[in-house]
Parts: sequence; C-alpha cells; structure tokens
Amino acid sequence: MAENTEQRKVQFKNFLALLGIGEEAGDDYIKSRFSGPADGLKASQKRGRLLAEQFIRCYNKTKDCSEKYQFVAWRSLFMPTEIMYAMDVMPFTTEMVAAQLAIMGCQIDRIETAEENHFSQDLCSFIRTAVGSVIEDIFPMPDILITSTHLCDPSAKFGGYASMKYKRPEFVLDVPYGLYGGVYEEDVKRIEEGVDYLSQQYKDLVRFITENTGVEFHEEKLKQVIEWSNQARKWLKMGNEFAYYTGTPTIKGSKDIDYASNLMQTWGTEEIVDVYRARYEEFVRSAESGVPVPDKPRIHWYHLKPYYKNNLLSYIEEHVRIVSSMVNYMYWDEMDPEDPFRSLARKTLMIPAYCPVSVRAEVAKKWMIEGDGIIAFYPKSCRHFHSSARIEAEIFKKANFPYLAIDGDCIDNRGDDFAIMQTRVDRFIKSMRKIK
Amino acid sequence: MEKKRIGWFCSYTPIELIEAAGFAPYGIREDSGYSHEDVYLGDSICSYVRSCLGGALAGSYDFLAGVVITHSCECMRRLYDGWHFKQEDIAPECIYFVDVPRVYNEGSTAYFAKQLQRFKENLEQRYGLISEERLIETIKKYNLTRDLFNRVLELRKQDNPPVSGVEVARLISESMTMERDEFNHKLEAFIVEKEGASGNPGPRIMIFGGPTDASLAKLIEGSGGVVVYENMCNGLRYNDMLVDFDEGPVSGIARRYLRKNPCPRMLGTHADHGLEEIRRLVDIFRIDGIVYHSIKFCANLQFMAGIVKSEFNVGVPMKIIESDIGSEIDGREIRSFIKNLCHKVAGKEGPRK
Repeated sequence: MAENTEQRKVQFKNFLALLGIGEEAGDDYIKSRFSGPADGLKASQKRGRLLAEQFIRCYNKTKDCSEKYQFVAWRSLFMPTEIMYAMDVMPFTTEMVAAQLAIMGCQIDRIETAEENHFSQDLCSFIRTAVGSVIEDIFPMPDILITSTHLCDPSAKFGGYASMKYKRPEFVLDVPYGLYGGVYEEDVKRIEEGVDYLSQQYKDLVRFITENTGVEFHEEKLKQVIEWSNQARKWLKMGNEFAYYTGTPTIKGSKDIDYASNLMQTWGTEEIVDVYRARYEEFVRSAESGVPVPDKPRIHWYHLKPYYKNNLLSYIEEHVRIVSSMVNYMYWDEMDPEDPFRSLARKTLMIPAYCPVSVRAEVAKKWMIEGDGIIAFYPKSCRHFHSSARIEAEIFKKANFPYLAIDGDCIDNRGDDFAIMQTRVDRFIKSMRKIK
Repeated sequence: MEKKRIGWFCSYTPIELIEAAGFAPYGIREDSGYSHEDVYLGDSICSYVRSCLGGALAGSYDFLAGVVITHSCECMRRLYDGWHFKQEDIAPECIYFVDVPRVYNEGSTAYFAKQLQRFKENLEQRYGLISEERLIETIKKYNLTRDLFNRVLELRKQDNPPVSGVEVARLISESMTMERDEFNHKLEAFIVEKEGASGNPGPRIMIFGGPTDASLAKLIEGSGGVVVYENMCNGLRYNDMLVDFDEGPVSGIARRYLRKNPCPRMLGTHADHGLEEIRRLVDIFRIDGIVYHSIKFCANLQFMAGIVKSEFNVGVPMKIIESDIGSEIDGREIRSFIKNLCHKVAGKEGPRK
C-alpha cells in the first residue's frame, strides 16, 4: 500500500501535467467541482460528478482533497463491477479514461508513445491510448487487475501487459461466447453450463480480491449492491423505452450515448440509481411540457462515437434524431439478490454484443420500429464491430431498416476526414427522408 | 476408398474428434485462399481469415464435406459469421463452431471438456457413434505424430542440425492435409534418413507467429540462418503436446489443447507461461535470434509483439515483421537481421572455416 500511495501521488501529478496545471490548481479544481450538493443537478451532471469522484478516488484523493487509501482494480470494459463495489474496490476502466483523454485532446501523444514502443497502429485506439498512458505512468497504480475475455482481444491482452508492467496480480474472467438468444433445449443446457462455469469464477474472484487486498467478503453487501444494480436497470430501461416509444424532445442522442451504460463502471453504486431515475424523469417532464418532438427521421446508434473534437454528431443531428443506442440497450434480466453469483453470471453471459452478428441484428430488429434507421460508427481498429458492417447491412436491408456504417475512429483523429463522412451521411439521410 | 475430408482452421481445433468420426481432418493452410481474398468481412480482419472466407466463396474448398470453426479470436469469430451468413453460396457446410476458453486451469478444462463432449455428440448425430476405442486409437495416431515431431526437434538441438526449417515447414504443411497413417510413415522415414546426417551451419532461428507464410523459413535459410523451432500456429505449437488418457479421452483432449504451448490468444497465467516458454526454448535450442512474424490485424500477435519488445526480455535479438498472408515478406529486413546475427555468432565462436 505504501508503494502504491507514493506512486499514485506521482501519477496524479503526471496526469495534472497533461492539463498543464500543478497540484494546487488541481486541488482547487477538485474542491470547486464538488462544493455544491448533487441535488438539483441534471442527470448527465450527476453522472459526470460520480465518475469524477471515482476517478480521483483512484488516486487516493477525496472530494475535499484529503488523502485516503483506496483499493483500485483496473477493469476491462465489459467486466461487471458489482463484486468490486461489494468489496470496496474501486474499478478503474482504462478505456473510459482513454475516451476522456480524447475529449481533452490529450490522446495523440499517448497513442504515439504506444506506437513508438512497438504497439501496432492496427490495435484498438482506446487500448493504444491506455498503453501510452501506462508507459508515461499517468494512470493510478492498480492493486489488482480484473480482465474479462469479452468482447475484444486487445482489451483482454492489455490487462496482462499492465499486470506485467506494474507487477500486480491479474484475474481473468473467461466468458463463454454466443449464448444470448438460445431458446432450444440444447441452448438452455449450454447456457446453464456457462452460468455454472462463470459463477464459480466469480467465487474465485472474491477469493482473489481477498488474497490480494485483505478485504473480507460479506454476502449481505453483495445483495445490497445487486439491489442497487436492479434499481438502476429498471430506471435505465424505463428511460430508454420512454425515449424510443413515447418520444421526448429532451433526448439528444449524441449526449445520451455518453451514458454508455452497458460498459459503464457504475453498476452496483447507489448513486447510479439516482442518475438513471433523474434521466427518466427528465424525459417524462419534457414530454409533458408540450414542446413538440422534432419531426425528423429516427436513428438507432450502433457502437460509440468520436470522442475527440469533431462535427460529425452535431451535423448528423441537424438532420435526424438519435433516439436510442446500442450502448444503452438494456439486455439483461433483473438479478436475484438471493442468488448473486449465478445472477451475475447470467447477466455477464447473456450479452447480445458477444454473439454472432445475426443474433445481435435480430435483437435490434425485434424492438425497433420498422423504417427507423441505424447508423453504425465503427472504428477500423475495432475488429469486433468493424467486421460486422457488411453482414449487418444485408440483414437490415431485408428488414427495411436503412443502415449506414461509418468508418472512423473514436479516439485517434489523425485520419479523420469529415468531408468523406459528410458525403456518406448526406446520401443516407436523403434515402431516409424518402422512406419517411 | 479415400475418406471424406472436414476442414479446420485453427490449431485449437480438436482434430482427433473429426478423425474418430470417420473423416480426414484437412487443415486450411495459409496459402489456400489468398489469391481471392474476401472483402466481405472488411479490411480490419486478418488476411488469413479473409483468405479463408474468400477461398470458400470462390469454391476452393468444395472438395470438403464440411468445416469446423473454433472461437479462438475475434477474427475467427467473424469467419464463422461470414461462413454461416453466406452458407448458401459456399459448398462445405460449417458443421460446428467450437468455443475455446482463453485460460488454462481446472475449471476451464472441465468446461471445455463439456463443449467437446457436445461437439462429439453433434458428430455422432450426423455420422454415427464414436466409440471410446476408436477415439483412443485416433488419439494414439495423433500422439505418434507429436512424438515423431519431438524426435525431429531432438535432431535440431544438435550443432549444425541435419533438418532444415524448409523441410520441417513442408512436413508440417503435409501433416495438416495428409492421411494420418501415411504421414506418420513418411515422417518416420524422414527421421531415419536424417539421423546421423550432416547439417547446416548458421545462426539458429526461432520463428514466432500465427499461421505464417511458409516462404519465411526459405527466406531465413536463404539468408544464411537455420530455423530450429517454429513457434507458430502452423508450426510446432500445433504438434507440441501429447493427449493424456488418464482422465478419459475427451477430457484428455480438452486439457491438451488448453495446455499446449499457447497462441497469443491465451490470457492470464498461461499467457505468462507462453512467454516463459519462449525463453526456455531459446535456451534448449540455443537460439541466436527470433523472427517474430505478425499478420496484420491479428490483435493478439500484434499486442504480444509490443509486450516482448517493451516488457519481456526474450534473451536474444528479435526481429518483428508484419505482413499479410498473401503479400511478399520483405527479404531485405530478414537478410539484414540474419547478417547481423552471423557477425554476432562468428564473434562468439571465432572465425569459421
């Protein structure tokens, strides 16, 4: 712990240096960020505040800038967080911070650091940013690393690399592939085998955390965390369905994608319940306000968006409404707090994105309203999604869902070419209007 | 009568089960489809997978009765998608998609054994019962191949090994497609011929890679090196460990495939073992240099390249080259690397006669 404490101080300074500020200014910023009450904030502000607090806690900083040691687990993007919160371990999601670095315009130097150190340009740009940040020692020292094998290879490999770099132990959760959507007897058997396999691994994870942090596990606490996770799930789902089926003038899809709830590290906190409840209530209030919902073609957004400064989303939203997104789609059932490990295993397994493309597309077809369009923003460095585009295009064409896949990148803007994207978007919107 | 053939792609495919079902497993090689690379999956997928699907769409594998695809990495997962989606245009049916764990431990072995049991049952439903005796006999045949390749490796430990990398590349390639008994006889005869033979001098090279272009060994040896170990998917990684029967044939197969010298797809402690294995092989085979061949867009190989270059000292010089399956490997890079190693080896041993 002492070594981590000292190192995190250095790492926090390194992080502040990216912003061009020193420790004092950093402390002032933290104090001002958390000075007011959370009540009365908008849902997105509440979310931002929660994530900011979690971020500084990973550097042992509290909201009032005092120092307090925090156990930190670096977590791959799809690794569920409930057990971590039940054991007072703070998740640190390197890919999420990579997106934040891109928002701040600090990603390219990190990417170039990774590339100078033999990490290929073909690798996912979220991960290259994270690798560069590790090499530059910007992220907070982990106590442990918890990596899941889903969805993508670079994310899974990154955990092993960081574990080696910081000489901290890594736990790998091996997630079976392709179980969502199974309905036949044989599928059900496979699903149950997967649940057995994963729930045992979750029990192993608990032992791993205790062995490496000394934190004891209490099942009652996990049950509470599962309850919060269920409540958050309910509000998120209600918000999604209201925005999509009833309609609300409030929703600005490009901002709503930022919730990225499927991959967010906040599942299992009490605060996120409030965030998703506030989001739902904002949708309902604005729908009741009498402000008309703009009459534009409706879009379901696939994958993430460019996080660096760009005009793509605002341009798209001049012409269409993004009313739902893959990253906020609620795919798992309510969990049973009395059976937490198996429930968590089921939630982890039953993810449509970690399934054949046809299964994933079927999910969208089932709940979407025919005629609504899909825009997929797929980074070329993301093999998992980018490679799906052509198959999806054919499936959605048959189902009468206009579909556009944009080649881009969420983080690395060195090849950004707005003019080309704009041409493709224009053509797509024209075809959407014809349908509408 | 010649057996019907079932194609496979990845060294994690449990080919013993295919053969026990009465078929000849046929390894789809790195050179089988590149002349008609597929564009269906897009250019972010590795060229091996694109060439496999391209080959399928162009009819290159129409002689197969079916194929088995493994979920070994994100590219292979899309090969299954592409094959499944375009099945009407592809003659051989994708008969099974095997999910393979990415860690090696008791839990993953037991889970994988269940998946293999399911695969076996699927084969039985299609083609008839696979008796335990037949499965054991088949495993013994494949174990014999592995034993024989281990004997080849013993020959390569010698100074000036009598076996060249080009010869081994050819043998491995044949082992993926030839009828098993016939191949075992051929390999045995090769070993007998080579035992006691004189060999080739030059810096001793390990090739590390995925389904690597067979021309690489030729290039290395044409530049004065001698390939003594192929740590590759279409190298000895596919042949390195025997199946143990103690826990039953299916469980034994499951353990063998998860425990073998790992492809960079593996994670956790077994990935660490794979790195240590490189060092161990460097010592055992007195390797002077490693040529690390990474197929472009293979995230696992590309990520591991970063690790071995920046975090893990393999103990000898290493040259990393990237290329597509069908593209020519830059000979200048290889020649320059081998030339430097020649100087280094000559410096160590004094002037050669």
